[in-house]
Amino acid sequence: MVKYRLFAVPILIAAAFLGGVTTPAQAQEQAQDNANSGLPSTGPLSGYMDFHFNKADGEDGILDFHRFVLLFNHSFSPRLRFVGELELEHALVEGLEEAGELELEQAYIDFLLSRRLNLRAGMLLMPVGIINERHEPPVYNGVERPFVDTVIIPSTWFDVGAGVHGDLGAGFRYRAYVVAPLNSLEFTADEGIRGGVQKGSKANVRNVAYTGRLEYLGIRGLTLGASGWTGDSSFETPRLDTSVTLGEVDARFRRDRLELRGQFADVRIGDAARLNDSLGRIIGISPNIAAGLRGFYGEAAYRVWNKGAPRDMVAFVRYENFDTQHRMPEGFQPLKEFDRDAWVMGVTYYPDPDIAVKADYISLRNRSGLFANRHLLNLGLGWWF
Amino acid sequence: MTTRSGLFVALFVAVVVAASVTGASHAALAGQAAPVRTIEITASRFEFWPSEISIAEGEAVEFRITSEDTVHGFRIVGNGLNLVVPKRGKGVAVARFTGTQAGRYSFECNRMCGAGHNFMRGVLVVRAPGAAQ
Repeated sequence: MVKYRLFAVPILIAAAFLGGVTTPAQAQEQAQDNANSGLPSTGPLSGYMDFHFNKADGEDGILDFHRFVLLFNHSFSPRLRFVGELELEHALVEGLEEAGELELEQAYIDFLLSRRLNLRAGMLLMPVGIINERHEPPVYNGVERPFVDTVIIPSTWFDVGAGVHGDLGAGFRYRAYVVAPLNSLEFTADEGIRGGVQKGSKANVRNVAYTGRLEYLGIRGLTLGASGWTGDSSFETPRLDTSVTLGEVDARFRRDRLELRGQFADVRIGDAARLNDSLGRIIGISPNIAAGLRGFYGEAAYRVWNKGAPRDMVAFVRYENFDTQHRMPEGFQPLKEFDRDAWVMGVTYYPDPDIAVKADYISLRNRSGLFANRHLLNLGLGWWF
Repeated sequence: MTTRSGLFVALFVAVVVAASVTGASHAALAGQAAPVRTIEITASRFEFWPSEISIAEGEAVEFRITSEDTVHGFRIVGNGLNLVVPKRGKGVAVARFTGTQAGRYSFECNRMCGAGHNFMRGVLVVRAPGAAQ
């Protein structure tokens, strides 16, 4: 059982209350004043922050200012708009180390032509899965993002490109982009394609990749989505054909106090045997990259306190199953420690609709028999402004 | 896909679809009773519901827009209607609107609400007399 470092709990709760609690009457009054004045609650600068306490069984606890994100927006005209997102991860960036990252996750111009057809170019979020385009802390349950949205779909997944988006009517909307491909030399056994994202940094576009998403929102409270990404990822190893294809389907539904969501994602990596051989010659050991990755999860959440902030709390449970060694190329054996599943359960408390105080417990299991299952306690404070 | 994961996906989709069909019927009934037509709109990241609204030319309606999460905006492009939609549980944005000229008008969120903000748009159709609904 996890030994909890309880000092973090009062810090998080006190911080949330100091920042967020007003009486319902005050809140209503303030909101109406704001609405009546016409003053915007967000201007050209907005963003989100994510502050975490993570404690794994048998390990020291960690306090991490995980994300400090600023979003910039500007309208050149009603039809020409800029959006930028600059993210500092883990609070500190130094050269050639593994502490933090400073990333330009979005920076694009939207050319809003019509409801059905709009153009977008720049640094884009891949329109894949539930979380990648919806990653503000109050939007999802759990201190950390779902495992499937981390090791199967490499959120936050962004790269340079251009494309179209629009609303087809009858509840359908779409995005379709041409983007920079992945670099297959950075794939790994445990995190799949995650390391291969070029992140728009002098991205090699000898080959390009294609990605798209179709969503159906025609029934109140229901969102159905299907996404795809495909591209040749062998520009560093042109004799190989390490094309990558990712397919994904997801659903979200909310009615009254209940919210359900689920996602299934499958990744196929071509020529994985020869990729392992090539990488093995470079690094001296076979990386055991799979020919197929697969993950899915289902989450049920219930708003146990539903009187509006600061009396607003959601309890949730999520089951995740994710395997980055799901299909192996001929002659390779799967590393079963990367065939994992997890039960995640916890609460999200909203002292304000834009502030999420989160706590969850994770039971993370693997199929190896050699590596211990893990138990994790996470506390988080995230906010949007 | 293994049998177990296939069953999981099928079960989840069945539950979601069954629950959503029931919800849609309930919502339709709730909107019929108002003596003056009130159009209830829900705003949430990153969509309006409904995202397609139809009124007759000359018809006066009242928009009542509620947020399910953060602050949103509601602006009818080229019309001048521009509202702040308060956060969840902190009020309703209300405005009277008369469709004086037939046509299709876009409406959109104009308060930055997240990564998908620019997708948050809809269409208001003002029908000419005699046009089908």
